[in-house]
Amino acid sequence: MKKNNDFDFENLPIEARDPEISQEDFTLQQADKEIHEQKFQTKPTTFLKDSLKRFSKNKSSVVAAYILGILILLSIFVPIFDKNDVSNTAPDSAYFYLEPKLFDNTNGFWDGTVKKTNVPVDTSSHDQKDWWPNLSTYKIDGISNYHIDGTRFTSDINEYARGGYAKIGYYGGSGLTTATMSSMSSYVLEHRAVLNLATTSLTLKTFETVDADKIKAYYDIAKADDPYLPALPSDVMPQNFTIGLASLEFVYVSDDTGLEVTIPLTEKKAIHNTGSALDVSGKDPIDIGQVIMDYIDDPTHELAHQNIFSKFYFQIRVDGPEGTPADKSVCSLIRAIELDCGDTASNALKVYIKGGIIPEDIGGQTIDVGYSGVSFARSNDFLIRESKFKVAGKEFKNSGYWAVESSTKMCKTAHLAVCTYASFTYDSYRGQFGRREDISIYEFEFEIYADKGYIDYFIEPLDSDPTRADPSTFYFEILDKENSPIMEDITASDVYFETSSDMFVANCTVRYYRYLGLDKMPKFLFGTDKTGRDMFKYVFDGLKTSLLIGLATFAICFTFGLIYGAISGYFGGTVDLVMERITDVLSGIPFIVLMTLIILKAGQNYLTFGIALCLTGWIGTASTTRTQFYRFRGREYVLASRTLGASDARLIAKHILPNALGTIITGAVLMIPSVIFSEATISYLGLGFKNASSLGVILSDNQIELLSHPYLLLFPSAVIALIMISFNLFGNGLRDAINPSLKGEGE
Amino acid sequence: MLKYSIKRIILALITAFIIITLTFFLVKSLGIADTTFGAKENVRYGFFMKQYNLGYVEYYAYERPDLGKLLAHLTIDGEEYFFYEKPLVIQYGNWLRNIVTKWDWGTSTSIQPNTSAIYIIAERLPTSMYLNIVSVFFSVPIGIGLGILAGLKKNTWIDHLISTLVMVFISIPSFVVISFLIYILAYQTHLLPSLWPTPSEPMAVKVSAFIIPVLSLSFGSICGYTRFVRAELCEVMSSEYLLLARTKGLTKNQAITRHALKNAFVPILPSILAEFIGIFGGSMILEKLYSIPGIGDLYIRSINEKDYNVLMVDMAIFTTVGLLAGIILDLSYGFIDPRIRMGEKK
Repeated sequence: MKKNNDFDFENLPIEARDPEISQEDFTLQQADKEIHEQKFQTKPTTFLKDSLKRFSKNKSSVVAAYILGILILLSIFVPIFDKNDVSNTAPDSAYFYLEPKLFDNTNGFWDGTVKKTNVPVDTSSHDQKDWWPNLSTYKIDGISNYHIDGTRFTSDINEYARGGYAKIGYYGGSGLTTATMSSMSSYVLEHRAVLNLATTSLTLKTFETVDADKIKAYYDIAKADDPYLPALPSDVMPQNFTIGLASLEFVYVSDDTGLEVTIPLTEKKAIHNTGSALDVSGKDPIDIGQVIMDYIDDPTHELAHQNIFSKFYFQIRVDGPEGTPADKSVCSLIRAIELDCGDTASNALKVYIKGGIIPEDIGGQTIDVGYSGVSFARSNDFLIRESKFKVAGKEFKNSGYWAVESSTKMCKTAHLAVCTYASFTYDSYRGQFGRREDISIYEFEFEIYADKGYIDYFIEPLDSDPTRADPSTFYFEILDKENSPIMEDITASDVYFETSSDMFVANCTVRYYRYLGLDKMPKFLFGTDKTGRDMFKYVFDGLKTSLLIGLATFAICFTFGLIYGAISGYFGGTVDLVMERITDVLSGIPFIVLMTLIILKAGQNYLTFGIALCLTGWIGTASTTRTQFYRFRGREYVLASRTLGASDARLIAKHILPNALGTIITGAVLMIPSVIFSEATISYLGLGFKNASSLGVILSDNQIELLSHPYLLLFPSAVIALIMISFNLFGNGLRDAINPSLKGEGE
Repeated sequence: MLKYSIKRIILALITAFIIITLTFFLVKSLGIADTTFGAKENVRYGFFMKQYNLGYVEYYAYERPDLGKLLAHLTIDGEEYFFYEKPLVIQYGNWLRNIVTKWDWGTSTSIQPNTSAIYIIAERLPTSMYLNIVSVFFSVPIGIGLGILAGLKKNTWIDHLISTLVMVFISIPSFVVISFLIYILAYQTHLLPSLWPTPSEPMAVKVSAFIIPVLSLSFGSICGYTRFVRAELCEVMSSEYLLLARTKGLTKNQAITRHALKNAFVPILPSILAEFIGIFGGSMILEKLYSIPGIGDLYIRSINEKDYNVLMVDMAIFTTVGLLAGIILDLSYGFIDPRIRMGEKK
């Protein structure tokens, strides 16, 4: 069946079937033009340009490249332009452990301040060394630096610390898992702990009576904070617990014996009247020994005696500062409790006291108590241990706290111990470079200051005896209050004659940075470390070292691997077999083993380190090269060239290598970050450089400060993480860009 | 297959032997680590006689300058002893003989003096193994899960998020991650112990102490698996047989579970098996940082304290584990897909 509209060839007339096309039907187009090959409308592109185009399409790689560029520039220029010396210890200890500071007053963010929580306070001392845990790092003059509960209590003008709260009777948590104690502290503060700040002393106002319910309440709070606290046995709940000025006593009824025990404490021993500033150093600890001995003399009452200890809680921390690994030779700060019941009941404070037992592995060792007021571990002392601590047949377990000493197997003395902890913000710059008291200023320094117009002074020694401590005439005035290193006027009584230097000396309150001759307070972007080194310079110095090692190792490994792989792949056969076995063995040895062996053998310096890194680093490049050479060596163009008489070297260098190079570089691009990574890891393990500052070394050196000064690890870590991430992103981008198999692809 | 497997194992044994031999010579060429230097004569005598029994030193009643450096000159009960180190080859022979005949790898000189090196390792190996086992069971499912998710949702925000995180975690050195895990989880929030607990601590503490090590061991392998699985899955998803499967009328889920995943797992499964061999190794950095008494920590200590016998056993373990993992990886390819013969000549 035909469709109507079909072209019907058969029915066409003959003329139409074979139309005649004459020559006239054709005309010449563009007969007057000369036609040549036209230039490409598109711009020609080179391999590099093409790669760059593809690379720039990968946004993350471009960002990484910029970051990388910035870091590299910083690592070059920071060590040149930052004049702070990083090879030596800073000239003054004020430079030690400065927090990183970029802004002013950003409420704790990068402004040179640090929030300290639960730092034990020793109010009796103005010496920073009595501040525990980090003895050398706090320069805070007593409790006058604290703002308690939002109110400024200070009578002093120290401004280094601000905010925060103080805790009293806080026991410090259980060893390694110190719980947060905010609930405890607020509880204590609710019940009006009184800190007498005007006299820089701590006065604890005690309560009149605590009944069993209240003890239970304390216990519940403690239990919430410290999950390891065992359940309080109901049978050790005291029915009465009275501490009073006239008769300080513990009343206890033991359920299992039915015995009522009342332990009076004589006023002399028990009470320290805190009408004046509180000072417990040198005072006897509360001695309840005599009473207890009475019971112990009667062996049937031994259990009762133990029960007393089981509920009469005392405390000492035996863990390290703020929950660090326990340094078992150091015990914590402790103060004997001060009970002042002379005040009204409205000033009542509930002192939280907690008992504990020294763990088995610590007991029996000599424990050096860090505070002179109370000494617990004298040579013949006996420390209560876990096994000794049974209450009504139940073992009363606890960890980390103990507070009983004895000169016999029976307990003789017990100490009530209270430790004050404070939380506050510490501005390390103002603390260390701001106002400092009791700085000795010598006569010659007075002269210098007077010459500069800061002060005006006049000292005249006594005519009769020039070496007499006090001068006959003394006049002092601060002229330039803004710039003078000496902040406060001094009087003749502050001045004394020092015979060793043969001049007058005055203990002054100074503006410390002016005293050190600085025009303004220093500012360290990344802070300073334990020897006052500027971390900003130190870190970028380290980065430079790491980058140089990375680049040098890359250059050596790449060159060697290329040659090795080329020979192995080009010649094949026996040569290849032998060379492959060598790489097998080398790559089979764990890297760290090889590394340590070389370092043990040849010492820890740049050269051996480089050698160790290079020893196996080339294997990757070599094997890629070998595969590529295998691929290309049989190609026709190689054969053609060989037939024309080209030497092996020419074939390798001129014909095969250029074709293989793209893939080989692709594989090698990521070698630099991996070398930096290896170097950091090895150095971190303490097996790397000595006396050099790569990033790994910096991190390794500062590892122990993770808890106390985390910024010392934060900045080097951030830099190493940043450089690794950007190197990897950049490397991946580069690999995609120059990989020949992707060339020309639009995507 | 059997012949090939045996060949691979024998080759690996030879490689291990060569590596251990090389290591022995390199380590021993550092000289005897005399940990008793400056101690009392009878202590030193005990130490050197132990070395003598192990076949590392020899002694004479008179001085022999021709034997090289005098290690020690001791006078015990009126008798004089001049100790000299034996030639390395002879020491090696003795060492090897002790291992082959008595399975005696020598004794420790400083970590736990006079304790058998094998015993020290055996004591510490379980800790490292527990951690590795937990982290394998933790990281493999998560890694594979994330990888599948990223692979199936390729080029969506989920994929980009996962890939970015993987990139970041692969790039950050493990010690940085561990340090900050400890800082945040242990020091700041007090949720977990900051150290490996002692055996006497309560069970709750012991269990919670696993969290930080397992997390830090897992980050790396989770990232590795995620990347690996995603790459494999993406490749399979774009293959023609999957298109055919869809054309035949399978739903997307059927196609993925029956065809894509099965094929994607061909290269993934062997690396999971190899991961199980890695259980016998220890992470040096983690164990050092978290004070875990495992064999990684032991390794660092034995290097620092020059306890060569312990070092040799530890090295032997690390080497063997590495080689064994390689073999398992290669062989299991063949079992899963008989067409593949990894490492075999074409």
